[in-house]
Amino acid sequence: MAKVKVATDWLAACAGCHMSLLDMDGRLVEILDKIELTSSPITDLKHPPVQGVDVGILTGAINNSTNLAVARMMRKRCKCLVALGDCAVFGGIAAMRNSFDIRDALARAYEDSESTVDGHIPKSEEIAKPIKAKAVERLVKVELNVPGCPPSPDAIYFVLKELVEGRMPILKDELLKYD
Amino acid sequence: MALMVNITLNGQSIQVPLGSTVLEAAEHAGIHIPTLCHHPALVNLGACRMCTVEIEGERALQPSCTYPVREGMIIKTETPRVFNLRKFVLEMLFSERNHYCMFCEMSGDCELQTLAYQHGLAHWTYPTPNPRLHVDGTRKYFLMDHNRCILCRRCIRACSDIVANHTLGVKYRGSKTMISADMGVPFGDSSCISCGTCLQVCPTGALVDRKSAYMGRHTDTQTVNSQCSFCSVGCSSQIIKRSGRVLRVEGDWEGSNEGVLCHLGRFDPFYETRDRVLSPMIRKGDSLIAVEWDEALDCIADKIKETGHEKAKAWITGKTLHEAMESFVNVFEKKIGMPVGALESTLLDLNLPSNGTLSDIDKSDCILIIGADPLLRHLVLGYRVKRARNHGAKVILVGGDGKEGIGRYAHMKFEFGNLDDALKICMDSDMPMVLYGEGLGITNAEKVKVLESRAKFMGLFPATNGYHARELGLQDGVKRDHAKLMYVLLEDLELREETVQTLKKAEFVVSHSSYLGAVSEFANVILPVPLWYEREGTFVNCEGNEIKVTAAMNKPETVLSEVEVFDRLALRF
Ligand code: SF4
Ligand code: SF4
Ligand code: SF4
Ligand code: SF4
Ligand code: FES
Repeated sequence: MAKVKVATDWLAACAGCHMSLLDMDGRLVEILDKIELTSSPITDLKHPPVQGVDVGILTGAINNSTNLAVARMMRKRCKCLVALGDCAVFGGIAAMRNSFDIRDALARAYEDSESTVDGHIPKSEEIAKPIKAKAVERLVKVELNVPGCPPSPDAIYFVLKELVEGRMPILKDELLKYD
Repeated sequence: MALMVNITLNGQSIQVPLGSTVLEAAEHAGIHIPTLCHHPALVNLGACRMCTVEIEGERALQPSCTYPVREGMIIKTETPRVFNLRKFVLEMLFSERNHYCMFCEMSGDCELQTLAYQHGLAHWTYPTPNPRLHVDGTRKYFLMDHNRCILCRRCIRACSDIVANHTLGVKYRGSKTMISADMGVPFGDSSCISCGTCLQVCPTGALVDRKSAYMGRHTDTQTVNSQCSFCSVGCSSQIIKRSGRVLRVEGDWEGSNEGVLCHLGRFDPFYETRDRVLSPMIRKGDSLIAVEWDEALDCIADKIKETGHEKAKAWITGKTLHEAMESFVNVFEKKIGMPVGALESTLLDLNLPSNGTLSDIDKSDCILIIGADPLLRHLVLGYRVKRARNHGAKVILVGGDGKEGIGRYAHMKFEFGNLDDALKICMDSDMPMVLYGEGLGITNAEKVKVLESRAKFMGLFPATNGYHARELGLQDGVKRDHAKLMYVLLEDLELREETVQTLKKAEFVVSHSSYLGAVSEFANVILPVPLWYEREGTFVNCEGNEIKVTAAMNKPETVLSEVEVFDRLALRF
């Protein structure tokens, strides 16, 4: 049987969800028998291949123009898009700043923070533009939401296993958590 | 026997008492219906619609917590239609305000969150506009975060129906509805008396205790069932602890206090600022030197012998538990021969019965409060009086200035000079109840005796175990002046200035207390005592019930129990 192709990337995330994925320990090796990890933030290849993958996994909220581009590319190149973790599913930590004006939030981070001396808000055309933080499914279509901050390794293992076997996972009990 | 009706619940035929709600009937049959605004201690309101069920013949789904059963009713609690509506209710609640559980204090114990898990909510179906609502931090002990509030109104019902304080209500309408205090003032400026009942019933993270916030949820903590020893009401409580630390105290719904506590028992102990006494200390020159127990006890014994036991006195606070109080009397009075006394009035000289219970207050139609103010030192009892008043009881106050505490709730106020008029009204009512305190005085107490055959009496003992102190025949010692050598067992009591001045006149003072205070400034020997959550033992509350205090923590090794101290002192005589 051909291996299931999986690509993953992160948006506005703290990397905790990917840590939880690695936390599957031995089960990661087991699952790698059945899947091919084509790209990820922690491998040499960062972007999902143009030929496409079966499963795309995104962690983090869509928080700026780059996040949006990354999410759109993943959407285009995968058949089943998984939003992994509270930030991807709900907007999470990044969404905390939605109740403030973006300009105020930037000023707080770059100019007014206690450790800043002569700070200024970066203005280069090259860098991403901040937007209101949103859950992935608010901007691109998502097939599966896996909440959790981060989702437990058990939940991630369950999700991958079900997907490999061609079923849409239904999270419940200990596997469905928001924190 | 209650009239029964026949109903069919999920295909099962059962009989339930007429007047039950569908929810009660289901509980009776062992069928679980999810609820959210319902709370066993509160009157049902039907605010959230989580508990909806299908009732044959009804077009719409109905809330089971408010819907009464009737003969022949056919109810289904688990159909897809019911499940979908419950899920829809949850989806709407999550879209309404800010429910990012990942940074919510309540996450893990939240009833809304648990229901969302049970209904498989893996994401938010509807947009979340998240209006930016304010967090009210104006109250000393706990916060109100409107962003997490689901408007279930449990807090409002607790405040009005249980505590009878009527501080809470709602303002605005529809999606703009907000929980508010009085006429929309900040909570800290409101009529709230900080009993914390609303905090305890809130199902979400909207109300947050300042001291125990983010210190662990139910699965991380242990609960010790105990009883509050901060006044003679003796409310049943639960001490919540984690990793060698007491986090908070909650009211026990099973107790006669029905889950309610007051700030004295729930919050204040966590705001203690005095320094703890952790080992025996002897004054040498200008300073207090920590010493071993034997040295301290030798010093005390020698001094008592040198002074002469008849020129020495021992006073005890009525906060002390039974075991220690009895041992105190046995050792100081019986063995050593020192006169003993209490640091507070024990109401002994009033010579009145104390035979009423808290539930007698609920039943009474005329409550005479005399020489006492239950809203100052016996708060949960005071709430009962206010509740009885809401249900129509007359409240008569004799000899209070009426500006503070219970005075505001009295229908009638009398001076002691017009006591007879007040007694007459009591005589004419069906179930009078007399709540008396140290302000009564012996002469007036004589007069009140006319009610003995008609009324229930309850002494509002100024100290926790005052009832037992009275049984032991202890009298207020302070009124009888000091001796050359004074031994005072204070527990955690902060002494009144006049008592401090009296003690100051003695030549040698032993202070047996948990904290340093005014007496330790001049005491010659200081002995430590266990704290409220390290104490184990019993006391008798104002109802005459035995109250069991359970230790939630071990006391430090250098601290001995009072009984052990007295035993070891007795060996020296
Ligand atoms: S109140 Fe409950 S549902 Fe809302 S954020 Fe807090 S834990 Fe989550
Ligand atoms: S504060 Fe708590 S108890 Fe009161 S309405 Fe809001 S969620 Fe319910
Ligand atoms: S603390 Fe007590 S008095 Fe204050 S609002 Fe809550 S229930 Fe009412
Ligand atoms: S009323 Fe008395 S026993 Fe009850 S909580 Fe308050 S201090 Fe404790
Ligand atoms: S629990 Fe019945 S309507 Fe809320």
